[in-house]
Amino acid sequence: MNNQSRRDFLLKTGYGLGGMALGGMLPGGGFLSSALASELADPLTPKQPHFAGKVKSIIWLHQNGAPSTLDLYDYKPELVKLAGQDVPASFLKGIKTSTQGGLGKLYASNRTWKQHGQSGAWFSDLLPNLAQHADDLTFIKSSVTIGATHDISILKLNSGGLNPGRPTLGAWIQYALGSANPDLPAYVVLYNGKKEPTGGSINWSSGFLPAVYQGTAFRSGKSPILHLERPELVAASQQHDNLGLLKQLNDLKDQAYPQDTELQARVRSYDLAERMQTSAPEAVDLSKESDATKALYGLDDETTKEYGTNLLRARRLVERGVRFIQVVSGPVDVDGDERTWDAHTKLEENHGKHAKIVDKPIAGLLTDLKALGLLDSTLVVWTSEFGRTSWGESGTGRDHNPWGYTQWLAGGGVKAGTTYGATDEIGLQVADKSLAVDTYDLHATILNQMGLDHLKLVYKYQGRSERPTVVYGKVIKELIA
Amino acid sequence: MKTKLYLAILWGLSGAVALEASASVDLFNNPVGAIGAKSNQPDLFNNPVGAIGTDKAQAVPATEKAAPDKSAAAEAKPAQTAKSNHWAYKPVSRPSEPAVTDKSWVRNPIDAFVLAKLEAKGIKPSPEADRAAFIRRATLDAWGVIPTPEQVQAFVEDTAPNAYEKLADRLLSSPKYGERQARRWLDLARYADSTGFQNDETRPNLWRYRDYVINSFNQDKPYSRFIQEQLAGDEIWPDNQDALIATGYMANFPDNHNSRDLVQRKYQITTDITDTVGKVFLAQTVECARCHNHKFDKISQKDYFSLQSFFANVSAVDNIPVAKKSEVEHNYEAALAKWEAATKDIRDKQKAIIDSVRDQAVKHHKERYLTDSREAIFKPQSEWNAQDRWVNHRLAYITDQQSLAAFLRDTAESKGKDKNYTKEIADKWTEYDKLAEDLKKFNDLKPKSGSTEISAMTELGHSDAPPSYVFFGGDHEKPLEQVQPAFPEAITDEKPDIKATPFSSGRRAALANWIASDKNPLTARVFVNRVWEEYFGHGIVETVSDFGKAGQKPTNPELLDYLADNFIKQGWSIKKLHRDILLSSVYRQASDYREDIAKADPDNKLLGVFPRKRLEAEQIRDSLLVASGKLEDKVGGPSVFPPVPANLGAGNQWQVSKDPQDQNRRSLYIFTRRSVPYPLLETFNMASAQEAHSKREVTTSPLQSLALFNSDVVFGWSQALAGRVINEAGKDEAAQLDRLYQILFARKASDSEKVLLQKFLDNHEKTVREKTSEGKFAVSIPTGLKDNQKLDPIRAAAFVDLVHTVANSNEFIYRF
Repeated sequence: MNNQSRRDFLLKTGYGLGGMALGGMLPGGGFLSSALASELADPLTPKQPHFAGKVKSIIWLHQNGAPSTLDLYDYKPELVKLAGQDVPASFLKGIKTSTQGGLGKLYASNRTWKQHGQSGAWFSDLLPNLAQHADDLTFIKSSVTIGATHDISILKLNSGGLNPGRPTLGAWIQYALGSANPDLPAYVVLYNGKKEPTGGSINWSSGFLPAVYQGTAFRSGKSPILHLERPELVAASQQHDNLGLLKQLNDLKDQAYPQDTELQARVRSYDLAERMQTSAPEAVDLSKESDATKALYGLDDETTKEYGTNLLRARRLVERGVRFIQVVSGPVDVDGDERTWDAHTKLEENHGKHAKIVDKPIAGLLTDLKALGLLDSTLVVWTSEFGRTSWGESGTGRDHNPWGYTQWLAGGGVKAGTTYGATDEIGLQVADKSLAVDTYDLHATILNQMGLDHLKLVYKYQGRSERPTVVYGKVIKELIA
Repeated sequence: MKTKLYLAILWGLSGAVALEASASVDLFNNPVGAIGAKSNQPDLFNNPVGAIGTDKAQAVPATEKAAPDKSAAAEAKPAQTAKSNHWAYKPVSRPSEPAVTDKSWVRNPIDAFVLAKLEAKGIKPSPEADRAAFIRRATLDAWGVIPTPEQVQAFVEDTAPNAYEKLADRLLSSPKYGERQARRWLDLARYADSTGFQNDETRPNLWRYRDYVINSFNQDKPYSRFIQEQLAGDEIWPDNQDALIATGYMANFPDNHNSRDLVQRKYQITTDITDTVGKVFLAQTVECARCHNHKFDKISQKDYFSLQSFFANVSAVDNIPVAKKSEVEHNYEAALAKWEAATKDIRDKQKAIIDSVRDQAVKHHKERYLTDSREAIFKPQSEWNAQDRWVNHRLAYITDQQSLAAFLRDTAESKGKDKNYTKEIADKWTEYDKLAEDLKKFNDLKPKSGSTEISAMTELGHSDAPPSYVFFGGDHEKPLEQVQPAFPEAITDEKPDIKATPFSSGRRAALANWIASDKNPLTARVFVNRVWEEYFGHGIVETVSDFGKAGQKPTNPELLDYLADNFIKQGWSIKKLHRDILLSSVYRQASDYREDIAKADPDNKLLGVFPRKRLEAEQIRDSLLVASGKLEDKVGGPSVFPPVPANLGAGNQWQVSKDPQDQNRRSLYIFTRRSVPYPLLETFNMASAQEAHSKREVTTSPLQSLALFNSDVVFGWSQALAGRVINEAGKDEAAQLDRLYQILFARKASDSEKVLLQKFLDNHEKTVREKTSEGKFAVSIPTGLKDNQKLDPIRAAAFVDLVHTVANSNEFIYRF
């Protein structure tokens, strides 16, 4: 009933500061109990991080389907040399494999490789534009994960769980920090293609956190959020009248419940909704962007237009204080079928097309963020559910590889122009296992850049203090500037 | 003979050998899965299924006797003793009714337990809610929808001394009661109509489980029996198809058919079932002990994996024929027959192509699985152990013709680089692919919902279970000591009484009997607490699914034990439990704010006022449907697909039901697709089907306001409600306002409200008129009007807006 006094206390004492145990006994410590979260008048109120964060926003570029980073960043002369031969047994130690398509022949695609920038990072010919940003990137060439199936590993990539039910990284961040812009969701998902990424909203689920923290999928077109447009035949002036009446009616009823902050919050939510009807379309409206900017993101080219539009939207969302923007790459027509980066066959055509779609827009995003002075406060993450094998599959593709692949970071507070970790000589497994970076480590590091300690960011769920990194994870200090 | 024959066919992987099995059990199964891919290749792998047949009443004698006589068994046993001293593991006590000063307030013992605590704090309970508010509250709680004005009036005007009792009995005897209670149980059963994960395939039979749950509540099935059926219906009542359907409780696990690691998949499925059972029936966070000994409760890893081993031998089976076909099945068969006839030629050709490369294709498919799965898959059947049997059943369960066609595709697309490549193969793929495209053209003919089969969990007709181990760090690749089925030692020293049946290990029957026992200290407490939470917003134990040490302690332990003990005494009757709560003085209190309680008991833990509550997602949608007069009252049947926003982007995962009646069914009949939660419900905190969902959260967000205010569907209901109001109240606007308030709020509009609303109408009429004078818009008028209603369209449009706004107000969205 009346939680006003308790809430006031919490607000005045700055709830959300790390280590403050509230809401009774919290075994393991923590700063928000589940009961409390659902009681909060506005769960999206901005909250303080655990310590000063280096970045305000994350752009999470999920390359859906798992690109072969062996053909993009991880140059392996030995693989080229051994191409066509069986995989030497020494490289297979400790891994479980499928034998479909005949495990055995190492495979090299038709790439040409060059070093770029002062850092001398290798890029294949598939990413000519991104190569120009060699010195902006922090490569993690020792990425590992679990699983050989997309859905399990994508779930893990986004939520740390192998089964559905855990909150995604963006949900944790929204829960921890609230929203910096009350007129927009703090966790936005962008995808290209005709429909939602497979798996749908599980990819941006709030899991066991309250639903208010889940990602909001922005649809293409002018009206990015479901139900953003008024019902047909209802004019803005009409709606404004209606909202005025609604407020009066609610005030009448709420008189009997003067201390009820939940009822008050519901009244406010209609004000927010009315504002969101303007702010959300404005956030994704590119009409005021210059031609030069649009060209930078590849909007002048049919191939790159859709993905580029999403990245330009992402930048606009960063400018408007959105904290986590998850951009999922869509499928493209490969020889008559809609395919993601998942090139079990026809890697040349598949990666040729996908690389072309993302290369220029991502390079443009980095250039643009830098020019606007936003790159220091934004962390851009190239990520995928796993990599691809050194051996060929069906002679023209590669299978899934969770044992060693490349991801990268760019922007606020990370060591630009460096590489962490490496794979073995054929690019199959992480060479030095002590440098392996699992999903949990990546999440811990990203949270750290947002000013959040992954060990202190907890939510009490069914008697257990849950954290984003389950029971794993370490911040990879070597990645941080 | 029949058994052996069937088995030889069904398990017809290379070199099939008739399995040794109890000849008395007819382990047949129709080699049919879902429509389409699986159903049109009967001898592909021959889905090896071990469901318990439907016609073996004589084959398995005395199946009813397999169920231990619960009461006798319970009497014979001493009370269980627990290793831990934790309150929740102590036997349920029979607290005597406490003495209270205000005896007149006590309608039943519940009130005495509540009042004693209030009086100790010097708090007086709140006065009775007025009857109209009460019936709105009670109908929403028991049925999940608002009452009609006629129901309200009848109750308000009922002068009989037992008016409340009559109301409670009426509410509890309606099928709507079962629908509402089922929804809450389905939350706990992580019920869905699809598998989840990326492909999120449809599970065409699981709605039968949903209907089983509805019926169980409506029949007032004893909770103990309800537990036994869901955990071990196949073992205890194998000839009862309802009991088989009940095992759908276990079969609701999220699944991905793509997984290449079948050994891991088995572990994940078993883990899901174990954790769900621990959480739902026992309110124990046993899952915490999977990777390490429990940090707060005395549950060791050994306890955890001993609990898992009760489920070591279960396999999901999707193709048990429905015993008694009804209209649903007949309609489905008729539709399917049309599709089959239209596509026979195409499918025969496809099959011929696959047949010509079957051996290679099967091998190719099998090779995609990871090392330890392959060991089982390529092992001769004669050497299978129980684990291998599980893996091979799983393989057949998920393998369809498309899996085999992958051989053609992969080989053809290698453009000569694959060792199997020949031009002939490439041509076959081209041909097959073209046929697949042709087949798609007939998709509209396929039945959109329904099935002729049931899904269940069984042990495939085998009583030997795979061994279970403690896994180091929860990693199934690091087995430590072997464990046997056992109950957690912290809770009880009782040992499971496992009696294998000819067709299963008997393990789950032992577990179910222990959970459903009168002596189990947790089961009754956990359930009565869930029901209490449903009515009062908070459980007596706040953490409804954690009765462990990290959970909250009961705010009123005597009340909890009284309810639990009484629940068992009343034969685990759920309806009696609801009735007692509905008729208590506690439940009858008004919810008005009280300054004194805000000070003395700010969280209202003692229940000195009735706690107001935001309606749950389904209550909102269903009540709007009731208000608009559009609700379809039909109970049960295949799930439906109401409209979704055009820009949702769900593709063919959400094909809207064509029948408008299907669009207006109660929300629990909406197809639960794990990857596409129904947007209108999702925004109001519906349950997530990914795991057992214990409690509906209440969050307030602008996305909810957008949905309720802007959705064309909701607005359409407001138009229909406006039409209904005019039909029922006539032309007088004051009467219309009263009627609107009666429908939505179970009361008439007050004078000041009428003044406010009239003023709005007058002003708003001008706004609408201005809009139309710009010539840009038409207006939205009331729908469903009876003949001969001559309305001013401008005034009528203003009235629709008024209705829509009132339906958006707090008074509607909350129950007070």
